[in-house]
Amino acid sequence: MMQRSGALARLIFVDLIGSVIWFPIWWYTKGLTKFISWCYEGLLYRYKQYAFSVWIKNFFVPMYAQYDWVGRLISVGMRIAVILGRGVALVIEAFAYLFLVLCWCAIPPLALMMALQNIYAGIL
Amino acid sequence: MADSQFPQVPEAIVCSSCGADPRASASCNQCKGAGIGIPADDGFLVWNTIVDEITIAIRKLRIKANAIFHLAILSVIIVFVALFLVFTIRDFKFSDVQTLAFWTSGYWFVTLFYFAVVVGAFFIFRLSEFTAPAKTLPGYLPSSHVARPTSHVENKIQKAIEVMPYFSPEAIEIVESAYRLAKELQVVEITPEILFASVLTNRSGGIFMARLGMSFDTVKEPLVRLIMTGTTGKPPINFSREAKRTLAAAYDFANRTNRKYVTSMEIFLQSFLESEKLQDLIDRVGYPKSDIVHVAEWVLLQDRLREDQNRFAELARLKPKSAMNRAMTAIQTSLLDHFSEDLTLLARQGYLPPMIGNEKVMDGLMRAIESGQGSVVLVGDQGVGKAAIVEQLARLMVEERVPEVLFDKRIVSVNLAQVVAAGDSGLAAERLISMLQEVAISGNIVLALYGIEALVGGAAGPMDLAETFASEIEKARFPVIATTSPEAWTQYLERRRLGKIMVKVDVPHPDAEQVIKVLMAKSGGIEYKNRVFISYGALEKATTLSIRYLHDVAPPQNALNVLREASVLARKTREERTIVTADDVAKVVHDKTSIPVEMVTQEESGKLMNLEDHMHGRIVGQDEAVVAVARAIRRARAELREGKRPIANFLFLGPTGVGKTETAKTLASEYFGDENAMVRLDMSEYQDQSSIGRMIGIPGDERGGLLTEAVRKRPFTIVLLDEIEKANPDILTLFLQVMDDGRLTDSVGRTIDFTNTIVIMTSNAGTSYIQSAVADGESMDKIKTNLLERELKSYFRPEFLNRFDGIIVYKPLTRDEVVQIAWLMLGSISRTLEAKGMNFRAEDQAVEDLADAGFDPAFGARPMRRVIQDRVETPLADILLKGEVARHDTVVLNDDGELTVEKAENLY
Repeated sequence: MMQRSGALARLIFVDLIGSVIWFPIWWYTKGLTKFISWCYEGLLYRYKQYAFSVWIKNFFVPMYAQYDWVGRLISVGMRIAVILGRGVALVIEAFAYLFLVLCWCAIPPLALMMALQNIYAGIL
Repeated sequence: MADSQFPQVPEAIVCSSCGADPRASASCNQCKGAGIGIPADDGFLVWNTIVDEITIAIRKLRIKANAIFHLAILSVIIVFVALFLVFTIRDFKFSDVQTLAFWTSGYWFVTLFYFAVVVGAFFIFRLSEFTAPAKTLPGYLPSSHVARPTSHVENKIQKAIEVMPYFSPEAIEIVESAYRLAKELQVVEITPEILFASVLTNRSGGIFMARLGMSFDTVKEPLVRLIMTGTTGKPPINFSREAKRTLAAAYDFANRTNRKYVTSMEIFLQSFLESEKLQDLIDRVGYPKSDIVHVAEWVLLQDRLREDQNRFAELARLKPKSAMNRAMTAIQTSLLDHFSEDLTLLARQGYLPPMIGNEKVMDGLMRAIESGQGSVVLVGDQGVGKAAIVEQLARLMVEERVPEVLFDKRIVSVNLAQVVAAGDSGLAAERLISMLQEVAISGNIVLALYGIEALVGGAAGPMDLAETFASEIEKARFPVIATTSPEAWTQYLERRRLGKIMVKVDVPHPDAEQVIKVLMAKSGGIEYKNRVFISYGALEKATTLSIRYLHDVAPPQNALNVLREASVLARKTREERTIVTADDVAKVVHDKTSIPVEMVTQEESGKLMNLEDHMHGRIVGQDEAVVAVARAIRRARAELREGKRPIANFLFLGPTGVGKTETAKTLASEYFGDENAMVRLDMSEYQDQSSIGRMIGIPGDERGGLLTEAVRKRPFTIVLLDEIEKANPDILTLFLQVMDDGRLTDSVGRTIDFTNTIVIMTSNAGTSYIQSAVADGESMDKIKTNLLERELKSYFRPEFLNRFDGIIVYKPLTRDEVVQIAWLMLGSISRTLEAKGMNFRAEDQAVEDLADAGFDPAFGARPMRRVIQDRVETPLADILLKGEVARHDTVVLNDDGELTVEKAENLY
């Protein structure tokens, strides 16, 4: 049976003091995983929103039901442009997410180092 | 969800390592000291937490400490950032901030900013890990997923899983208040009964009790008495084995039903299922076990619908907001837009509710579409949910959970009445063709046509667009989902081209279980609108009564309508936030059908028990008939009949004028409220075979038959068939089915329910035998036997006679009985005069004379009516017209048969 003292110990050592020790480990393990999956969900949503599969499947189907030659030609050109444009946008967004992940990894130690450096510089 | 998903008794086992011995289990590695647990896929589920004053206090302290800690962290961040901003803005320019020197020169407020960033990261960590109400169950289905990954591993080593961390704060509070309850009642073990009581006294207990329609006061005392049967004493208070099993089973059930946390609902259900004594107690106060299970199912269903709605909303964002599809191949469809409504758009905006049940029909529909046949017609009665199926398809199309042929398309419902409203068939056809061309060119449209028979012009005479439509959809091959009724399908579509090119998918009537589920799903909206709570009893009653008595609209629509009306009634007759009970529903159904479906009241009970006496107020003698009819009514009202046959089938035999028809009329007035509350057919009008058509309708004529329509509109009634021996034998064959199965199919194909009728047939067959036998002084039993064995055989087939619940032989009237009838008839004259403020009195001799004149052994009491008319009513009319009688005067029928007037004493 979980002892009463255990509950109190949990409060002090896990919730309050323990979390300070757990925090850096969490940041680069569970926290990082959660953040990456958040980025992945965002990117996936954008991918779905851009509907690449729909556009590729309908590559030669004319837009706005313009079945004449000119219509078809314009349509194919337009589709190439849109697919490329959206592809580029997606890549940019992917890089943005990558940047965010890098920030996630770098910012806390960087901030801490800068804080220490600043204290040191202040003392000097 | 089927009941089977609710575990009846959780399969728990005692820990094999320690055998649940308290001394050994304290250090047992297998169960971690719980002693008992439930083996599940995820591990050996145990409840192993001490609950007492100290742990309760520590838990509360922990919640408070965490909140204070988080507030402190947030304050630190705000203060650090604020100081940084204040000093930076005050002492530096923007250009300074852009230099590296500013960030590295050792300014104290910059250092604080760096710390704010680090503490901010720590805050994110705290929010992520320390603010969840409880651990998430491993079986939980997040809103963005539709299928649960299977985690079952064979022969996995069972490790003990402590279930407490998965309990929601409210569930923990319930366990804690169970401890307090045990302490208050001075029992030393927390039992499932205490857990159950604790749920009822908790916040969510109110919901469960409202759903059950139960008040806490009704269960409070018996529940306390039940709890007090446990061992009493002083703390420490421990969990009983059953309580540990209940809590572990609550986890197991929540996990298997993909819930996020263990909530009060699971504790409520499992504690109830665990304790047979509790089940017995709740049953005794009027709530069977199935009710509790259904209430839990209801809570679960509503939670699931909420989660589904979240997932739907997330996916709906991907669907285009306009008529243009995502591939941008569509065109503007201005004409179509004018005559139609975009269902996918409505679904996307959340206007179309999800469908409950009918999964098989949906599968059939999807299969038909996927097979490339394209056009589907849903055939079902009004109210079975055809529109709901189309709307569900729209929702699935929004989520894109559809066969590829429907992917990136929209479903558009065309208003056919508006299309054909042109009046001119040429114009309507032109419109239709133009619209269909738009659909064909656009290529992203699925057409939904509610009531496709409108195209055939069932009601509009020469307007027949079915052929045009058929050829267009054959040519263009775009999907069409149409709906129609079975009658319209048979009459207008089946044998035509349109019917042949469409795949027919039947939408059957849902069974009671499915109807209840629909009501459960829809109850939230009704409750919100009327500001009431609906009890499970009301749902069940609405379902059974609608299925049994309301046949104009099919279930579940009829049940929904009843529930809506009952909610309005409850709110108006009581106050807001009241509970809609089964009685409210029964009252609505009673008002609609005149069928007494409410609980039998004290007053009605008295009336039922004295029905014979009441009936004898109008019928003289004929005890056997009166008793048989009264008993049948009592059986029906006590709901003791099977419900598969009419309430009763009677054959009244006897000479004319002895009271056969009068018995039926008396019954109608005594019990059905009106002497004319009966369907009366004189069978002498149904002597040839073709008259069957008049009775059940002629094929092709939607009006139906005289009998079937009357019973369909008024299912709770008396069917009186006079002089049955004169009917065509085929008609008697028709009634074999009515008497046996309680139903009859009319010419349109509707099954008419006769299970709430009393079928009374009267016959003069064998009259001469009865009269001579009675004159010879034979006993009634012998007369009856002879009738059945000999006299009636020439008129009726044995299987016909066998189907009667009672064959009642009416005796020829004796002279004494005729005198009584004369008194009864004079009584009605007296009542008429009383209404005019006058009195009436008859002398004995005069009545005897009337009886002599009105009695004819061949015609029973029938001549009596004429005699009274000639000798009493006619002279009375003369007296009245001459003004010889004033108010308060008394008209006297003297011994010599003359009428005289006794003037009232003038008091003023």
